[in-house]
Amino acid sequence: MSKSQTRSPEAELGLLDATMIGMGAMIGAGIFVLTGLAAEIAGPAAILVFALNGVVTAFTGLSYAELAASIPKSGGGYAFVREIFDDFASFIMGWMLWFAYMIAGALYALGFAPNFLELLHVYGVVPSPDEVGAVAVPVIDTALPPAFLLAFIAVLGLVALNAVSTAASGSVETIFTIIKVSILVVFVAFGFASPMFSGAEFQPLFPEGSGAAAVLPAMGLTFIAFEGYDLITTVTEEVQNPRENIPKAIFISLAVTVVVYLAVVTVAIGTLGAEGLADAGEAGIAAAATSFMPTGLPVIQNGGALIVFGAVFSTLTALNAVVIASSRVAFSMGREGQLLPSIGQIHHRYGTPFVAILTSAVVMLGSVALPTQSAGNMSSLFFLLSFIIVNVAVIRLRRERPNMNRPYEMPYYPAPPIIGIALNLILTGVLIEFLLRTDPLALALSVAWIVLGAVVYFALKRVKQQSDREQATAASEITPEAED
Amino acid sequence: MTRTLDIIIAGGGRVGFQTAEILADRGHDVTIIERDERMVSEIADQWVATVIRGDATNPEIIEQAGIDRADAIAALTGETGLNLAVCLAASELTPDIRTVARIDRTAGKAYTRFVDAVVFPERAGARVAANEILGSDVQTLADVTGNLDIMLVRVADGAPAAGKALTDVRFPEGTLVVSDDNGERIARADTTLTPGSRYVIAVEPDVVDEVLNLMRG
Repeated sequence: MSKSQTRSPEAELGLLDATMIGMGAMIGAGIFVLTGLAAEIAGPAAILVFALNGVVTAFTGLSYAELAASIPKSGGGYAFVREIFDDFASFIMGWMLWFAYMIAGALYALGFAPNFLELLHVYGVVPSPDEVGAVAVPVIDTALPPAFLLAFIAVLGLVALNAVSTAASGSVETIFTIIKVSILVVFVAFGFASPMFSGAEFQPLFPEGSGAAAVLPAMGLTFIAFEGYDLITTVTEEVQNPRENIPKAIFISLAVTVVVYLAVVTVAIGTLGAEGLADAGEAGIAAAATSFMPTGLPVIQNGGALIVFGAVFSTLTALNAVVIASSRVAFSMGREGQLLPSIGQIHHRYGTPFVAILTSAVVMLGSVALPTQSAGNMSSLFFLLSFIIVNVAVIRLRRERPNMNRPYEMPYYPAPPIIGIALNLILTGVLIEFLLRTDPLALALSVAWIVLGAVVYFALKRVKQQSDREQATAASEITPEAED
Repeated sequence: MTRTLDIIIAGGGRVGFQTAEILADRGHDVTIIERDERMVSEIADQWVATVIRGDATNPEIIEQAGIDRADAIAALTGETGLNLAVCLAASELTPDIRTVARIDRTAGKAYTRFVDAVVFPERAGARVAANEILGSDVQTLADVTGNLDIMLVRVADGAPAAGKALTDVRFPEGTLVVSDDNGERIARADTTLTPGSRYVIAVEPDVVDEVLNLMRG
C-alpha cells in the first residue's frame, strides 16, 4: 500500500509538543483579536484583565491536570465529566463545550478577516480597512461586508480541509506555535525600544467613569483566550508518559502564555494607547505594530507587515485548532451515544469524523454573522460554565472515589477547585449582567442553545428507547457466538 | 454495538492488564481494580485504564469503579473463588451486568451457572505453546504473533463501511482485510463489506478502534 493511500494515526507527542498545542490555541486566539476589545472596555487596565484571567484559569488548570492524569481518556473536559456525572449532566457539559469551541471558531474567523484586510492594506492592495466598501454579491443581490465574507470563506476552507484529511500532527502545530511566539517576541522587542513607548499611556490605569469595575466585564470577554489547555487534554492518548507530561504541559503553557500576553499588551498600550487600541478593535495588535515597526525593509517593506502576518497566521491556525476540537467533542458525544451515532463515526473514505466536522461547521458558519464581541462573550460564557463543571467534577470524584489512583494530586485540595468555582461563578455573573445591559442577543442565543440541547437530549432518548424496543424483538438472532 | 462499553476488570495482573489493553485499544472505557500498590502505579504508567486501588470483593470498592453504569465486569485475578465472589457481588449490585470469571481448571466450566462466561487462560496459553512447539507453519486464529490482532468482525448495519467495496474504504495504515464474505475467499479489491457478514481482518493494536468504528459504527 502506498503512503498516500493510507492514513497513519500514530503521533507520539512529547512534552514540548503537548505544551505547544496548548500555547498554540491560547496565543493565536486572545492576543491578536481580543486586546483591542479589552482595551475598549477596561482602558489601560487591559493588562490587569489578562493577568487576572491567568490567575483564575490556573485554578481550573489544577483540576484539569488532576483529571487528565487519573482518567486515561482523550476527549478533554467532556470525557472527564462523562466519567462522573449522570447522562444528562454530562450531555449538557459536552453540548456547552462543543458550542464554546464552535463560537470560538467564529471568533477567530472574525478576527482573521480584519487582520487579513490590514495585511493587504499594508502592501497597498486595498485601501485602509475602514475605507473598503461592502462587496456586492451578485447571486443573492445584496452587499455583504468584506470582513464577514472573508470570515465565512476561512471557516469553509478549513472545514473542508479537515473534513477530507486527518488533522495536522502535533509537530506541525509546534512549528506554527514557534512562529507565532517568535513574531510576538519581535513585536515586544521593537515595542519596548520604540520612542513611541511611554509609561504615560498607563495613566490613569482605569477608564474614567467605570473605574476598576470595568476590569470584570473585560475579564469575562477575554476569558476565552485561556481555553487552550482543554485542547491539550483532548490529545492525551497521543502524548508520551501522559501522567507526568500532561500536568506539566498544562502549567508550562499557561505560564508562558500569561507572560507573553502581558508583554504584548504592555507594548500595545504603551505605544498606541488604550484608545488607539480600542479603535483598531480586532486588529489592535496589528495596528500598534504598523505604528512603530521600521519601514522600508527589503521584501517585507514594512516591519508592521510581519506582525500583521503573524496575526493572520495566528487566527487561522487557532481557527484550525478549534475546528478539530469542536468536532472531537461532537465525535466523542456521538460515540458515547449522546448524539446521533453517525456523528461518532469515521468516514469510510476520508478517515475523518466527517459528520461531526460538518455539523460543527453549520453552527460556525452561522455564527460568523455575529459581531466579534458577541462571539467572544458567548464563547467565554460557555467556557466559564464548563470550567465550573470541571472543578465540581474533581471534588465529586475525590468524594465518591477516594481509592481511585491519582498520579497527580493537586496541592492544598480542596481549596483550588473551590476557589476556581467561586471565581468562575463571579465572572459568569458579571458577564451575564454585562450581556443583559449591552448584548441581550448573545445572551438570548446562549440560552437558546442550552434549551435546544435539552430538547435534543430528550428527543434522542425517545428515539433510542424506540429502537431498543425494536432490537429487543430481534435480539434472539444476534446473540454472540459461544467462544471457548 | 454502536457505543463504547464501560468495563470493569478486577485484578490488574498479567491477564487483567493485557485484557484491559486490548479492550482500551478497541475504544472501550476500562476501569481496573487492583490491590497491589506497585502494580497500580505500573498500570497507571501505561495509561490504558482508570485504576481503583483496593480489594475487589469490597462492595464499596466495586461501587467506586462505577458498577452502576458498567456493561460488563471481568474478574481476572489468580484466585477462582475470589473471582466468583466478585462476579456474584457485581450481579447483585447491577443485575443485568455481563460477568466473566477467570478459573483455574477445566472443571470450572460448571461455574457458568453463576457467571455469564468463564476464561481459562492456562488452556489458551497451552494452545499457543503447542502451536509454537509444532512450528510456525500452521497456527490458529488467536494470538498468532506479537501484537497483531486477527479478528473475525461482523459488519454492522449502518456502519460507515457497510455495503462499500474495499477500494472505496480507506482503512488506516496497519489494517489488512483477509477474507471475503464469511471467509469463503481471500478478499479482493471488489470485495463488498456486506452488513451481517463476517470478515477476517488483521489489525495492529493502534488502529483497532478506528477499524472497528468503520466496520461496526
